[in-house]
Amino acid sequence: MNGLGSVIRGVQTPVLLVGLVLVPAVVGSLGDVTLTRVATLALISVVFVVGLSVFSGTSGVMSFGHVAFMAVGAYTTAYLTIPVNLKQALFSSLPEPLAWLADVQSGFGVAVLVSGLAAGLIAVVTSPVVARLSGLQSGIATLALLMIVNNVLSSWTDVTRGSSSMIGIPQATTTWTAFGVAAAAIVVAWLYRRSRSGLQLQASREDYWAAEASGISVGRHRAIAWVLSGMLCGIAGSLYAAFLTSFNVNGFFLTATFAFLVMIVLGGYLSLSGAVIGALLVSTLQEVLRRLQDGQFTGGSALPAGVADLVLAAVLLVVLVKAPFGIMGVRELAVLRRPRATGAETPGDDDGVGDGGDDGAVHSARSDAPAPVAGR
Amino acid sequence: MILEFLVSAIGLGALYALLTIGVALLFGVLGLMNFAYGEILMAAAFAMYLMRDQPWPLAVVVAVALGVGVAVVSEKLAFHPLRGADPVTLMIASFAVSLAIQSVARMSFLPRAQGVSPEPFLSQRISLAGAEVSVLDLLTLGLCGSALVAVAFLMGRTSLGIQLRAAAENFQMARNLGVKPDLVIPAAFVVVGVLAAISAVVLVARQGAVSAEMGLQPMLIGVVGAVLGGMTSLKGAALGGFLLGAATTLLEAVLPTDLIAFRDAVLFSALIVVLVVRPQGLLSGAKVRVS
Repeated sequence: MNGLGSVIRGVQTPVLLVGLVLVPAVVGSLGDVTLTRVATLALISVVFVVGLSVFSGTSGVMSFGHVAFMAVGAYTTAYLTIPVNLKQALFSSLPEPLAWLADVQSGFGVAVLVSGLAAGLIAVVTSPVVARLSGLQSGIATLALLMIVNNVLSSWTDVTRGSSSMIGIPQATTTWTAFGVAAAAIVVAWLYRRSRSGLQLQASREDYWAAEASGISVGRHRAIAWVLSGMLCGIAGSLYAAFLTSFNVNGFFLTATFAFLVMIVLGGYLSLSGAVIGALLVSTLQEVLRRLQDGQFTGGSALPAGVADLVLAAVLLVVLVKAPFGIMGVRELAVLRRPRATGAETPGDDDGVGDGGDDGAVHSARSDAPAPVAGR
Repeated sequence: MILEFLVSAIGLGALYALLTIGVALLFGVLGLMNFAYGEILMAAAFAMYLMRDQPWPLAVVVAVALGVGVAVVSEKLAFHPLRGADPVTLMIASFAVSLAIQSVARMSFLPRAQGVSPEPFLSQRISLAGAEVSVLDLLTLGLCGSALVAVAFLMGRTSLGIQLRAAAENFQMARNLGVKPDLVIPAAFVVVGVLAAISAVVLVARQGAVSAEMGLQPMLIGVVGAVLGGMTSLKGAALGGFLLGAATTLLEAVLPTDLIAFRDAVLFSALIVVLVVRPQGLLSGAKVRVS
């Protein structure tokens, strides 16, 4: 009908989401040091969870292994940005074929890109596995990927410093770079969702066999989404390393996996808006809990350490029981709705409670999603 | 010498088989890949630490009681409301349960690892058919072996076992034929609690320490073994765990010293290959119930 309206309706979701992540960016740049830190880490979480959502949200297959990509990104950035003289001291016993690594040096921008590419490389190598597996098998395989990467990073002491922390990374991530990358990640994720591959993948999420029968090669599109999401998560790792300036291999293991899992499940793992909202909500919750643990709100009567984890676990369980598809379900953030109610109304978030079906068995968010398939 | 090696290797295999059955049992009945299994084990191990000054048999009894308690409570609070949810949701939920139990342990009793000095009788060696066999290895073999026999008896010969197997085969059908879910599922968790506790007793004796994170490694062994052996059949799972124990020992013997640290990477790569090439497990028949 009217062209402008449909254009606005088309782009409103990414615009609203970028506006949403602008809030922590502004808060972070105006607030004190702690607030800046919290806001920047929240924005990095947004990058990661949006990256995870590119795979899990569009394909409906949950991944427990994406933190491995973040680790690869972080280590790559460390190698590229630690000053050469410090690096030669840190990695005195590099094996011969990798000795050149001690002499490379690049700017932050290049490091971010190369980190994304390095994580993407791991994703390309592992993509045949992801393309073939669904559901629980995929969950276990992705977890195994995390275990492998963690095992290599913590045991290959000559190259990764093993369980000692990686130190001396120049701080380069500011709140605004984190915001810029988060906004770019949202746009990329949204473009992918609206792309031919993304739509076909979403069709396979709704009904795997129907999609296969319509000629969609689900495996190939899963692999594409896997690589793209791996790259985004690698970039998140790069930002993380260049923000904290030091990190430890234990930071990229089950605790981190769990925190990101809470974010994406709470927000609603099928929806891009859910990923962003979940990341921001859980980051806020974590900070509030941290302050409670330190006794800042209650005037000194600190809660024992570990309460934060307990609360996060409880939140996740309640969400899984009460609303398995999270806050957003399959909906996206929008102010303008379509003029005609053409059956595009989305189900409520508690629609799927007790649904014993496949993990992706929800109704399509948009009635026009399978259109490119029908056109083939 | 050979006998000594055999007792040690078979003992480790039996321990791994026990860990694997604990994971595979719940997967068969509920479709639950239970990541909180390690924390049930940790709770039982904590009981061993708590009762370290009491007589050893009493400590074992308390460990079993605590393991069963934690298993049943986790079923009541977390898995009961999720009955019928898909396996991935259950797996995420078990992640949450695992973290919750760990953080409770960390903020209450186990902020850091605690040593449990091994019982004096465990460090002795006795001569058996001309070989010097350590009591610890014998205990591992004896406890895990008898637990395996007990499980085989329970599953094969008792009414509860038949109901459990029926539920693992086809939950809906079993229910229609009069198997009561509210009886069978908690019973499965009780069995799992007992198995975890026995594994914990052995592990504490072998490691001599208890910590909040100690459940991770045994749980991973259980998961890997269950996947290797085929997650639906308990026999396959037990065999998978047993072979995993053997493979671990073999890898440690075969890999060059500087590669031993990468043993887990090799094992998990093998796991991924099995998932892709033979998702029903190496040892099971054609039946698959995954995803």
